[in-house]
Amino acid sequence: MKRVFKPVELIVIAGKTGRVTIKYPFEGPLISQEFRGLIVISPEKCIGCGACVNACPPNALEMLESPDKKILRYYIGRCIFCWRCIDVCPVGAIKGTTEFELATNDFLDLYTYITHSRAHCTCGTGGEPVRMRRYVIEKAPIVENYASKCPDCRKKSLINAVSLRKVGFVGEEARTS
Amino acid sequence: MEDNTVYINAPREHLVDLASKLFNDFTCSFRTCIGIDERPLNGHFSVTHVFTDDRNSLYVLLKTYAEAEAPRIPSITNVVPAADWCEMEAHDLLGIEFVGRDHYRLVLPPEWPEGVYPLRKDVPYDYRPRVRGVSERLSMSTELGVIPIGPYHPALHEPEYFELYVEGERVVDLKYRGFHVHRGIEKLAESRMNYQQINFLAERICGICGFEHSTCYALAVEKAAKLEVPERAQYIRSIVLEVERIHSHLLWLGVAFHFVGYDAGFMHTWRIREKIMYLAELLTGSRKTYGINLVGGVRKDINEEKKQKTLEVLREVSSEFKQLVEVAINVPQVRRRLVGTGTLPKEYAVKLSVEGPVARASGIDKDARRDLPYAAYKYASFKVPVYGEGDNMARALVRVEEILESISIIEQLLDKIPKGPIMLEDFEIPEGRIGVQVVEAPRGGDVHFVMTGRGRPYRWRVRAPTYSNIPALKIMLKDQPLADAPLTIASIDPCFSCTDRVIVVRSDGRIERLG
Repeated sequence: MKRVFKPVELIVIAGKTGRVTIKYPFEGPLISQEFRGLIVISPEKCIGCGACVNACPPNALEMLESPDKKILRYYIGRCIFCWRCIDVCPVGAIKGTTEFELATNDFLDLYTYITHSRAHCTCGTGGEPVRMRRYVIEKAPIVENYASKCPDCRKKSLINAVSLRKVGFVGEEARTS
Repeated sequence: MEDNTVYINAPREHLVDLASKLFNDFTCSFRTCIGIDERPLNGHFSVTHVFTDDRNSLYVLLKTYAEAEAPRIPSITNVVPAADWCEMEAHDLLGIEFVGRDHYRLVLPPEWPEGVYPLRKDVPYDYRPRVRGVSERLSMSTELGVIPIGPYHPALHEPEYFELYVEGERVVDLKYRGFHVHRGIEKLAESRMNYQQINFLAERICGICGFEHSTCYALAVEKAAKLEVPERAQYIRSIVLEVERIHSHLLWLGVAFHFVGYDAGFMHTWRIREKIMYLAELLTGSRKTYGINLVGGVRKDINEEKKQKTLEVLREVSSEFKQLVEVAINVPQVRRRLVGTGTLPKEYAVKLSVEGPVARASGIDKDARRDLPYAAYKYASFKVPVYGEGDNMARALVRVEEILESISIIEQLLDKIPKGPIMLEDFEIPEGRIGVQVVEAPRGGDVHFVMTGRGRPYRWRVRAPTYSNIPALKIMLKDQPLADAPLTIASIDPCFSCTDRVIVVRSDGRIERLG
């Protein structure tokens, strides 16, 4: 007999709970502070190194290259909001937000571009972005002259240096390796 | 033999005997088989059958090689019926022929060109043949009534297609066509992603138990590379896995109530579930697809504040859930629709190596968390609910009890969680190693197989639990009233996108020769 009336207890549960839905968007959304939302890339801080491009699982971040520009493109449509780019960015240029209302009328709103001009080597080929070179010079004990060359010219200058020195360790190393 | 894995190189002529010995005499469970194109490495194809000895916590891998030209391997389906699907999959994707059985197309669409095997290493990952759409109808039988269910939404709103054959109101037969949403992610991972990116891809195999997949993948790679992952990371993985299990089971219960027409129960179950979703977001940063797993550890720590909040939410959920379930399970319409419907007898459950709550409701006492301990489960004590009835009610009750056990596991682990780092710094993943991992997802054992390569896996194979459970539906639905069919299909908690990840459709009507 008791079992028959058991289902009626749901009314008690419902009464105790009351209304749980909220009037979004007139009330704030139900998200916690830990929520991973949209990322914002600071054009001032970004050095165009491409670490985020390598880490991004869905290729939402891409590096577009032309002879004198490197452009970091962020496409929201592909982004899975994993924030791996934030983990790997060496200069902290990417910040996470709790923003998630990203619908738009204009498709182009979904793209963000960050343009970097390339530093040119003396031979004319475009190298890494100017800012990245500055960052490397700040961090690593190498001379500016060396850093501003393209990989090909670096190789050439090493061979030149070796061929100038008929004896000595540079020559020795080059022969054994 | 290495760690808890036994590697056996089985010559072709002894494969069937060995498999029979393991499956029938040693009562190991059959998990899956993996075809690998090893031609760039050693000029052969290979098939690895994965068994687990649940009583001794052992993985047993039976590896057989086949010639590069016209690869042929004896079929083990006569002694291990559960191997049916995975053999067909290896046939579709790698062109390995299994001697001693019928072949039909399981995974690839009917219109896929003959002789193109997508997982062979010489097929580019972006190969796209022109495929025309064809009818879903599997057969044109006129003697029996044919009720098509799908290809949209029979159970949990995913694409799959069932054809039920009825005499009056009684179901007499069933045919299934799935793999509509095969996305070829194994090929994608093997071709252009790196180890850390695949965690996020693995998480997207399933929308409900995604974290199981990413954990399983990460554990498999860690096992292959022999990485010592920090204890704290393993605890966090276990805690989040259990949070996911609670949300998944609550979701299922809600859907089950909805199917029997008890929508009030559905609404209230999902109201309680919402608290768990919020908790997941608090712990990981996202309501679903948590994205905190990496090879070598996790990305987000649990601090004291979150720990207290978690315990508080769990206490609330626990008491509310107990109260609700007692009411909902006693509703007469729920009882009548669940008790005695969709019965799966134990003998078939063993034969088909079914997984998870479906197995446990049919009297098979297996749970990878206890039998093949991974992450931090060895530090928690919990009960594995087992029922003998094998009907829909038993499957529901297994899930109800598991929710309460999961709450207790999280409480125990939060209490014991050790201090320390959560991520392993600097490690290398050597080439050519093999790692197999079973993770108990809400639906059953989820298997990931990883063979490491340069910068990315050489072969990555995923076997979702529903893959083993769908063949059991034929037995559950036989001689049942038609009205119970949707509920019974839902009762295995099918997750078609997980199952289908491997490729697309099958063509002729022959499937599931069992029963």
